[in-house]
Amino acid sequence: MARYFAIFLTFARACLVRDMTFRANFILECLTSLGWMSMNLAFYLLVFTFTSEIGKGTGWSKEPFFAFVATGLIINSVVQAFFMPSAEELTEMVRTGGLDAVLVQPLDAQFLLSMHRVDFSALANGAVGVGLLAWAMARMDHAPPALAWLLYPLLLLCGVAILYGLVIMLAAATILMGRNQSLYDFWFYITNFSRYPAEIYSGPWGGPLRMICTFVIPILLVVNVPARVIAQPFTGELWIGVACAVIAAAVALVVSRLVFQRALARYRSASS
Amino acid sequence: MSGSLEAVRPAGPLQGLRTWWTMLKICLEERLVYRGDFALGTLMRFLPIVTQVFLWTAVFGATSRGDIAGYTRNDIVAYYLLTMLTRAFSSMPGLAAGIARSVRDGSVKKFLIQPVDYVSFLLAARVAHKLVYYAVAAIPFALVFFVCRSYFPPVPDATTIAAFLLSLALSFLLGFFMEVTLGMLGFWFMEVSSIVFGYMLVQYLLSGHMFPIDLLKGTPTGIAGVSLADVVHWLPFEYTAYFSSAVWLGKVKGAQLVSSLAIEAGWVVVMAVACRVAWWRGTRRYSAFGG
Amino acid sequence: MHNTDPAAAAPVAEPVIRVEGLAKEYRVYDKPEGLAASVRALFHRTSRVVEAVKGVDLTVGRGEFVALLGPNGAGKTTLLKLLSGIITPTRGTASVLGHVPWERADDFRRRFALVMGQRNQLWWDLPAAESFRLHQEIYRIEPARFEKTRDELVDLLGVRKLILQPVRELSLGERMKLELVAALLHEPEVLFLDEPTIGLDVVAQHTIHEFLRDVQRRRRMTVVLTTHYMKDVAALCERVVVITRGDILYDGSLAEIVDRFTTHKIVTLDFDEAPDRSVIERFGFPCEFRGPQVVLRIDRSRIADVLPGILGSAGVRDVSVEDVPLEEIVAELFRSDARAAAVAEASR
Repeated sequence: MARYFAIFLTFARACLVRDMTFRANFILECLTSLGWMSMNLAFYLLVFTFTSEIGKGTGWSKEPFFAFVATGLIINSVVQAFFMPSAEELTEMVRTGGLDAVLVQPLDAQFLLSMHRVDFSALANGAVGVGLLAWAMARMDHAPPALAWLLYPLLLLCGVAILYGLVIMLAAATILMGRNQSLYDFWFYITNFSRYPAEIYSGPWGGPLRMICTFVIPILLVVNVPARVIAQPFTGELWIGVACAVIAAAVALVVSRLVFQRALARYRSASS
Repeated sequence: MSGSLEAVRPAGPLQGLRTWWTMLKICLEERLVYRGDFALGTLMRFLPIVTQVFLWTAVFGATSRGDIAGYTRNDIVAYYLLTMLTRAFSSMPGLAAGIARSVRDGSVKKFLIQPVDYVSFLLAARVAHKLVYYAVAAIPFALVFFVCRSYFPPVPDATTIAAFLLSLALSFLLGFFMEVTLGMLGFWFMEVSSIVFGYMLVQYLLSGHMFPIDLLKGTPTGIAGVSLADVVHWLPFEYTAYFSSAVWLGKVKGAQLVSSLAIEAGWVVVMAVACRVAWWRGTRRYSAFGG
Repeated sequence: MHNTDPAAAAPVAEPVIRVEGLAKEYRVYDKPEGLAASVRALFHRTSRVVEAVKGVDLTVGRGEFVALLGPNGAGKTTLLKLLSGIITPTRGTASVLGHVPWERADDFRRRFALVMGQRNQLWWDLPAAESFRLHQEIYRIEPARFEKTRDELVDLLGVRKLILQPVRELSLGERMKLELVAALLHEPEVLFLDEPTIGLDVVAQHTIHEFLRDVQRRRRMTVVLTTHYMKDVAALCERVVVITRGDILYDGSLAEIVDRFTTHKIVTLDFDEAPDRSVIERFGFPCEFRGPQVVLRIDRSRIADVLPGILGSAGVRDVSVEDVPLEEIVAELFRSDARAAAVAEASR
């Protein structure tokens, strides 16, 4: 509804004003995420001095691989900017009773709890991702069909949706457990598996791991599907991946919402 | 935890021992409170290695060589596992930030007044902290290493083991003194966090955390015959993660082993002196400004 | 378990809040003490069930101003959270403005407000004025009406110059006033207040009391306020519900608490000079000697017989007969209830 969007804009505007007020800090945060990212890029460049491809016959040579990395940067930066900051605050809110205040308002709690804070500095990585993608696509010898370019943004959104579902599930866990481990740690460990193309997971251990990360917690669909659509030759097989990604996105959104509602129903509230 | 050890002033060896025992127990209890966390948390730290293992397997699979810079695929897996161990010795979470904070909020003043040496106090606290960590992390570590034993080459000879242990002890001191010196910069700079961040970045790249430094042997530096690996060899960073692991795996032998240990020890001395000097100059400046 | 005294209960015309047999239980895990216990806790944790609210019945009519009075941990805040839908009960039913609170229907949430002392609901990073605008959007308040209500409330509490500052820069008292403004912007029919004056200085407390009285009267709001301060109760409410350990001990008017729960009166005698102790003690009542002054606690039923005799004692210069102060009555109520609980616990 337009109302929700207007409310979101108010929150976003407030966060932007705050970031611009503490400008030095904002710039530092941008540089921090850019710093870690460049270390990783240096590592990938180093690896490519020893091999021309990641995994035999997978098609992930240098440029396609960097297109993959760029796709990951874009999707992750969107999630880090718009959903993670609010979710991370959830622990504090549960502890101080701020969650009580949210439950009393005639507005969807999930919306408020996942979108009231925006971290604009996280978009820095996304911007670099776009640049990296442009570089990789320019240097690749195969040009993807127009259809691929149409599918790409849709698949990026599916990736964001799947990760959003994951954020909400973790947030639901925080509400139920009243918190132990930082949400961010779990996030890091789970999404770590999706840093590289799914093809690396082969063999007696890799195969099952790949299945779990595709069909149970579908993080391998997040970056792999859009990256493949745009960086690998477009074959009929890709449609299966596209379908899986779209279905996974829908399921992620629905299931996570159900779990979240259950968690709210069982909310204990800090004692007074 | 280190900031709250107000009572650690050994009035005699027995009292000191008793205080340490209490501290240890409290630390352990504290850890055990987050029980679910704790057991799971330690094991989960190994998860990123799983991804790295698959990555390197894929890399080796696509090349026709048997080894990269002297490391076979199994060597690399063993290397990553070993760096988990070596970093457990040299990483000092929150040390620099804690010092900078106590300078900023004035709690460092009490060390100017009391006859307790700040650096020794910090060292004692860190040792206690580490001991507790090892005691509690030993089982998950042992479990993982046992399960992955097939990746490791045969256990090295006694000399290598001795060199390994020595390098571990030195890397603990090196990591400690480097972070303390960084923290002391708080006497001169308000925002030490940016400097610490820069240090972390360089560490991440050059300590061997991400990859064995040997991989840089092929990277030119513009100076004839000198690779990036040679340059990094003279810097302190690789001794906090890469070096001990390489020693265990037998990648550093003979004369090179001795000279590397010497460089490591040399850096320990340099940083120990640096933090002493920083403390002395810093406290002079601090009192001059009234704190 | 004492319950509502039918004679003392306020007549309910249109019940706005109706509660029957409402109960809330929590499972609490025991914290291990010591190292051995901590290790054991890794494998097996013991727990027990805490009954925060034990089957409570309550009815509140439109326009009533009710205080839930009780010591910490009595369950009054839990009851309030049940009524505002924040938590779901273990047993029992409740209906507020015709809705089941924990279903959290938007229609319901638009008609009431909750203000919790010391816990802020305003968005910290925004100045209060922005928070108010956000409220307008969230509660769908019509712009003209919103501005009128806002200006009225802001002026009543005298906070106009504060609304442009970020909330986190303000003092507790100032924040509380702004919270109240925010809560009343959508003109709720029911107002829940959880310890609203806690931590505030006397002046701020007084301002808020006046404000609440005024606003409640004008808008005929139904107000339920939890507190452990007698001051709040005395200043604001005619009806008091005393809660201890999850049970309602008393539900009725403030004045009747004195009749119900005290058996004696306080008689203070001023002598010319410190009297002979044995003379006073002879009467057999608990007495306190403070120099030339003696304070006695005499059974109400016996006052008429005993007083003339005491007054006849030599050297009595002045006498006063007073009711036991409310604070003391209530404190004693809590204490005796706690004692009864301890006895029950020990005999288990």
